[in-house]
Amino acid sequence: MSSKRHSILPPISQPGPKPPVQFSSTITIADSAILTGTNPITIATESVIHPRAKIESSGGRITIGRRCVVHERVTLGAIGNSSSSQRPNNVTGGGETAVTLADYVTVEVGASIEAGDTYIGEGTTVGVGSKVGAGAVVGKHCTLTPHTHIRAGSSVPDFTVVYSNGMRRTDKRGVAELKNKGVARQIDVLRRMIPSNPSKFM
Amino acid sequence: MAPFNPYTFIQCPCSDSSPLGRPADSNSPTGSEPEEDERTFDPRAPRSNYSLYPLEYLLYCEDCHQIRCPRCVSEEIVTYYCPNCLFEVPSSNLKSEGNRCTRSCFQCPICIGPLNVTTQETKPPDPSLLTAGNAPHSGAYALTCSYCNWSSTEIGIDFDKPNGIHAQLAKIRNGGEPRLTAKERKERRKELSHRGDSAAVVAAREEIDGQALDLENQFANLKAFYSSQLADPSAGDNGLSTLGDLGFSSPSSLSRIMSLYTGGKLNDNKAKSRLGAMREALTSDEGLLVTDLDESALISQLHLSDHCDTASTEQITNQPPNLGEPLLHGASRFTSSLRPIPYLLRTKRSKRCPVCRHIISKPESKVGTTRFRIRLVAGSYIPSITIKPLVLPNPSGGSSSSNVGDLLTPLTPVHYLLTFKNPIFETIKVTLATPAATPGRFASKVTILCPQFDIDANTDVWDEALKDNDRGDKSSRSSGSHTRQRRGTEAGLQLEVGKIWERGRNWVSIVVEVVPASLRLEDGGMLREDEDVLEIAMFVRIEWEAENGGDDAGISSAAVGKDRDQKEKRELAYWCVLGIGKIKQT
Amino acid sequence: MSRRPPRGEYIETDTGNKVARKATLVGTQNIMLGGKTVIQPEVMIRGDLVRSIQSSSTSSSGGATPNNTAVAIGRYCFLSRGACLRPPGRLYKGAFTYMPLRMGDHVFVGPGSVIQAASIGSHVYIGARVVVGEFAILKDYVRVLDGTVIPPNMVVPSFTIVAGQPARVIGEVPEGGHEAFELRDLYKTVGNNPHPAPA
Repeated sequence: MSSKRHSILPPISQPGPKPPVQFSSTITIADSAILTGTNPITIATESVIHPRAKIESSGGRITIGRRCVVHERVTLGAIGNSSSSQRPNNVTGGGETAVTLADYVTVEVGASIEAGDTYIGEGTTVGVGSKVGAGAVVGKHCTLTPHTHIRAGSSVPDFTVVYSNGMRRTDKRGVAELKNKGVARQIDVLRRMIPSNPSKFM
Repeated sequence: MAPFNPYTFIQCPCSDSSPLGRPADSNSPTGSEPEEDERTFDPRAPRSNYSLYPLEYLLYCEDCHQIRCPRCVSEEIVTYYCPNCLFEVPSSNLKSEGNRCTRSCFQCPICIGPLNVTTQETKPPDPSLLTAGNAPHSGAYALTCSYCNWSSTEIGIDFDKPNGIHAQLAKIRNGGEPRLTAKERKERRKELSHRGDSAAVVAAREEIDGQALDLENQFANLKAFYSSQLADPSAGDNGLSTLGDLGFSSPSSLSRIMSLYTGGKLNDNKAKSRLGAMREALTSDEGLLVTDLDESALISQLHLSDHCDTASTEQITNQPPNLGEPLLHGASRFTSSLRPIPYLLRTKRSKRCPVCRHIISKPESKVGTTRFRIRLVAGSYIPSITIKPLVLPNPSGGSSSSNVGDLLTPLTPVHYLLTFKNPIFETIKVTLATPAATPGRFASKVTILCPQFDIDANTDVWDEALKDNDRGDKSSRSSGSHTRQRRGTEAGLQLEVGKIWERGRNWVSIVVEVVPASLRLEDGGMLREDEDVLEIAMFVRIEWEAENGGDDAGISSAAVGKDRDQKEKRELAYWCVLGIGKIKQT
Repeated sequence: MSRRPPRGEYIETDTGNKVARKATLVGTQNIMLGGKTVIQPEVMIRGDLVRSIQSSSTSSSGGATPNNTAVAIGRYCFLSRGACLRPPGRLYKGAFTYMPLRMGDHVFVGPGSVIQAASIGSHVYIGARVVVGEFAILKDYVRVLDGTVIPPNMVVPSFTIVAGQPARVIGEVPEGGHEAFELRDLYKTVGNNPHPAPA
């Protein structure tokens, strides 16, 4: 059971210290995920971390809720170019919490969530290549369409859809429950497909 | 600033009927030539916008031996199809159904992304029932956008069936109220009128009439009303009796007016017999719609809504002409009044030469295929011209521009390599000419170092390799793209007037020297739009010997003459515009 | 972890594929390359996300049947640096499954683009930083300009130029523009001993 034999995965040099981790026993984390930093990284029940997803805790603690899916090339906890002075006052930049994903959050390919007490609410989807600035608070069941940029320190109310370069509207479909169920189904499949190797990061 | 990409535009001769360029202009240094032949093309003239095209957009007529552009060809529609479901729509359907897809293809009224039919309120799939395979639901269906998450339930619309959405949508108003189409309305009324006057029937009738008229119904009612008025042979005035009462409302005067336009046949005896003043529509049955000027409800709704609840101009203009909408009044600017947009059909078109009417481009009619039966593109007849800055390691006479996209320094000579690639199977002789200075307020100096040269034929690479011996003199200089004759290199990177810079199998590079003008204005005025872009107008003349009449590129249907032994001299000449770069503003 | 390369940036296969050593191909047994395809460094292809609905729920590691293609790529495709190809996934009859991603010949994928289409035809140009949503269908001779977001399930018919977020049709590929989609020359310019670009 080796993904190496069936994959070309060029080695990644461990770019920094190995962070302390707290994993639920039911998570799926790809062998080639990248965890780095000094602050603790917590991943709760049944969440999935795809290959080449990067979780950086040098800016603070990273918490990933239940049944989150973090796709490849995502960067959680990137130290953004927005300096801490631009963040809201109550945020202690780099101090305690860098990024919190609530339950059922999906972060799609290549998205980046900057460190600085950034919060993504339950059931929210962060689209491909999106960027959530430091200290931004994204509400529950939001959809950030691909290439959305949420500015540092801004907030997005629950059920908001951000589309077409920052237009906003409210999701009135009322399918939050259903969507969460869909994520659960997806995780069922991913758990079988992605060889998990949590011990590598312990 | 976005980097500047050099470009070549070619002028289509269709705009050539009048003398080229602008009339002698005192501002222009080139404007003083008196003779027709000496007139040069001005790429900045407002008209030039409409005649310059990149090579890819140009076609070529083999019979006229001329370039044809999208503006001068005449198009004929070969196939109509829906860009979403890719189903072909017979042209007979277009008249009756309109130019939109009548299946289930819709665009989102909010973001114009595609809409999908989805099952609504799906029973959450129970994990324990998974293996059973959840059958499709009997529940309602909705159109949803997978980009912005809009759903037709937001405007109160859902569907019973997952197919034929277009027909279903025509029967529902926003909010879910059913809507009778004009035809149904008529039928229903007819049906009721047969049933006498029982209380139930009267009530049903009132219900039909009570329904607000929408655009389509109103038009249908008005049309029916007026045609019945015209047909009504009730006696009355004779249409000419009283001049004071020259009512345009009378059918006779109407028909008189019509006869002025249609050639007099309407004003016959039959028409005279049906006279009588026409009246206006009086009931909604006849198409009367009383304007509702009370907008207080809308205003109060505005107070309660967000910015995103009102529709943008773009969203409103994207809306299809909605026959179900109450016109003028009631058409609100709320997103809740928007409706899904049925996809506009797309076409495959063939193109004809405007002069000789020969078809010069014809796609296969099937939607799925990308083949063309005829495709005479200019690119296979005239040489392509690419522009590259030429960097000289030891520049002679000033520094050279280093990079594509760099700004040009005024008054410093720069060199560009123009590479001409010959697409035809004959050797061509190219003659170039350009005004010594560009037209306009800022005259940059232009010198083509080698204005006359030959380009070898575009022989097949494989031919070359296989028949190396037969080719004799040609193979020596053109065996593949690797043996290039680099005159410039041999000459120690000296620019020599009259010498080709480099040549290959079917291409030649020459050098053009440009001295960009200074953009300084004495009077301190502002630069006009794009005045800093350095564009060179160049006249290209190609001469070649065609092997046999009409078959200069070896593709055409040979139908000209029989004696093809002697070669025929051909020439083609056109203006083109080279966009070189932007001049630095000092 | 990876085999030590005998130098050279690319692995060149018998069928002429040029795969950068720095590309990430997950689940290579499910990735089909038609030949003469270039995969530049930092490209990622998720061949591990195979169709799961008809295959039994055994572990994915063992029996990969030949039909288990997750990503099929034709000839003369060019995947630029940082591009990512992954099969689209959806709920089907209550269960989640990935579906194969198919790509024709002469498909150019620009740097940093993420492709989750169901199918991409032949002679398709996809610019830089483009997102092609799940189950989108791009037919032949399609040009997608830089930064475009093609929404899920969108169909882009042949000879279309699309741009914008979300993508909309902004033009038609002219008759004379077909040859520009040809990628044979581009293929020659990369690899361990690249040829210079032709004039």
